[in-house]
Amino acid sequence: MKIYIGIDDTDSLEFGATGQSANELRRIIKDKGWGEPEPVTRHQLLLHPDIPYTSHNSSMCFTVEMKEDNLKEFIDCAAEFLKETSAPGSDPGLCVAVNERIKDIDELMSFGFKAKVEILNKEEAYKTAEDCGIHLSEHGGTGQGVIGALAGIGLRMTGNDGRFQGRTKLKDTGESMGIGDIIATTEIEEVQSIDGHVLTDDEILIIGDKIKTVLLDGKRKLLVYRENDGWHTCNNQHIKNY
Amino acid sequence: MWSISDKGEREFTGGKEDWAAVAHIAENCPGFKPDDEDEMVADEAVSCYNCRYRRWTIKSFVCCK
Repeated sequence: MKIYIGIDDTDSLEFGATGQSANELRRIIKDKGWGEPEPVTRHQLLLHPDIPYTSHNSSMCFTVEMKEDNLKEFIDCAAEFLKETSAPGSDPGLCVAVNERIKDIDELMSFGFKAKVEILNKEEAYKTAEDCGIHLSEHGGTGQGVIGALAGIGLRMTGNDGRFQGRTKLKDTGESMGIGDIIATTEIEEVQSIDGHVLTDDEILIIGDKIKTVLLDGKRKLLVYRENDGWHTCNNQHIKNY
Repeated sequence: MWSISDKGEREFTGGKEDWAAVAHIAENCPGFKPDDEDEMVADEAVSCYNCRYRRWTIKSFVCCK
């Protein structure tokens, strides 16, 4: 069965990074033989002075196919992991949702969207989790991270939010690559311009530096822009709003 | 370049897209520390926008160093 895992608030100003915590959890799942986790997506939530985030108020989410028999052990293990490894002063939250058992997907996705534009509280997060029949727990500090952990899953489920963790290595900067080749040899599923034009396999892309991918239309997409009659990969500045 | 909030925090007045200015500030800042790669937004490696000690605000960021 497919499960979604969301975590948030595992870092402090000085220590840790929630993205690294998510990757550690992926490694544990793999090492235990519980499944082969999909890549992590990062979801930006509301920036507001009344929200006590560390630096960027983003949450992390990934999915994995896991057997029912391993689920409880995984949740216990993830809870212990967050408790033991999260930075001092952090407020870690964990959310685990079994896709086929989510009672109200619309409510869950709505919570995710709301977390991008509204100030939400823990009570709302727990109520949504209960309504949707999914696991939500806090593992230190104020436990405020439950809001982002739940929102991260809601946003990932929309298929239209966030960027993938890490960089994608194509060719060296300045070299060219065919779109068909990129799709055949990497995790990228589609190459699309910022304004929505999907490139065809026979088109050519000039490779830039620090390539990031985003989650759009449920796919891992590489965003590009047109300049001097050629397609170029977007840089950090282009995708900062994803 | 900086304003001081009621809480005493230093907020950058150039907003979130003054790439050259924050690169220049960070190059001369002894407190600069690169953030996690996934939280970097500037293409210049050394930039306040990529610093561990910047805290994003609605319009800009505050420097926590």
